[in-house]
Amino acid sequence: MPDPDAYIALISSLPGSERLFVAKQPPLSRLRLDRRLSALKPEDARVLKVLERALNWSDYDMDVTDAQAIERCKEALRDIPQPTLRKVFIERMDLRTAIAALRLRKQGGNPPTGAYGTGRWSRHIPANWSDPTFKLDGPMPWIKEAKQLLDGEDPLGLERLLLSVSQKQLKRHAARHYFDFEAVAIYVLTWNIFDRWAQSNAQDAAKRFEHLAQQAMAGVAEIGFDGASA
Amino acid sequence: MNELVLTLGWLGIYAPMALGAAASAIGCSIAGMASIGAMTETDGGYGRFVGVSAFPSTMVIYGIVIMFTLNRDVTPENAGGLFGIGILSGIALMYCGIWQGRACAAAINATKEKPEIFGLSLAPAAIIEGFGVFAFVFALVISAGIS
Repeated sequence: MPDPDAYIALISSLPGSERLFVAKQPPLSRLRLDRRLSALKPEDARVLKVLERALNWSDYDMDVTDAQAIERCKEALRDIPQPTLRKVFIERMDLRTAIAALRLRKQGGNPPTGAYGTGRWSRHIPANWSDPTFKLDGPMPWIKEAKQLLDGEDPLGLERLLLSVSQKQLKRHAARHYFDFEAVAIYVLTWNIFDRWAQSNAQDAAKRFEHLAQQAMAGVAEIGFDGASA
Repeated sequence: MNELVLTLGWLGIYAPMALGAAASAIGCSIAGMASIGAMTETDGGYGRFVGVSAFPSTMVIYGIVIMFTLNRDVTPENAGGLFGIGILSGIALMYCGIWQGRACAAAINATKEKPEIFGLSLAPAAIIEGFGVFAFVFALVISAGIS
């Protein structure tokens, strides 16, 4: 039986997850977070590693195929025993499947027949391929905005929308867990979203800097600026 | 048969004390762990955290008072009453202590971020204390009717 008080000291030693998104400076570095996570029991640490490995894009090789990514997700789901974390994982996979389908369709693809995503909507989407939102407005109210951002060639806006949706999903699940392992795992996943959010802001800032610098230097010389390739 | 009834009577006398002590130990440890965690994240207000973690210790005091009130010669006539009052008040104190510890832990976790809500965040723990007082007071009232 899971212990609802298993990680009281650990949770209390972490800055509130809300503060992650309003702070100008990261209130907690990954190094410090990992140091705090050393208090996890070995079996919980293993589940957290599986969860992060399957959800973090940085843990995937650049040349990973759809089938390999899907297989990794299915393997991860087998290794996650906590019902709440399974729901979190499945919701994130549903989100990724819908976005993958939107991207495929934008590239002019036909309804996919092979592996392109996973989860309960992977058959529903090809069956409703011609509908702008795959008839998923109900379970995924954000999909319309995602489609508009994708059509409007705004990858940064899309990235922020998806991070915001993911964060809301985590927040909903966090309301039922205070000091147990699920609360710790949800905190770490929220931290990962904050990290991605901060990175996307840095990329945005680099783009704006390049744009302003080019404006200022216009007519002075032909100077190329690196570092904002996004 | 009489021996069993007498044993239950003695069990009833000591139960509020034992269960109250268990409640205070568990509750204080839950809140104490939260205060230790919060201390690593904050730069001050440590005394407040430690003070809040001691809240559930009142349960053992209530248990001791109930035990002394119930303490008398155990007879086959009063053993059932002693057992009922002692065990049920002890269980009530135990639940109050454990959940008060959790409420205190949540309060400590919240006030490390927002010190200005310190007083208000203790309201759930104070309400639980009120339920513990109910169990305590009415155990004393009812025990007056046992010969």
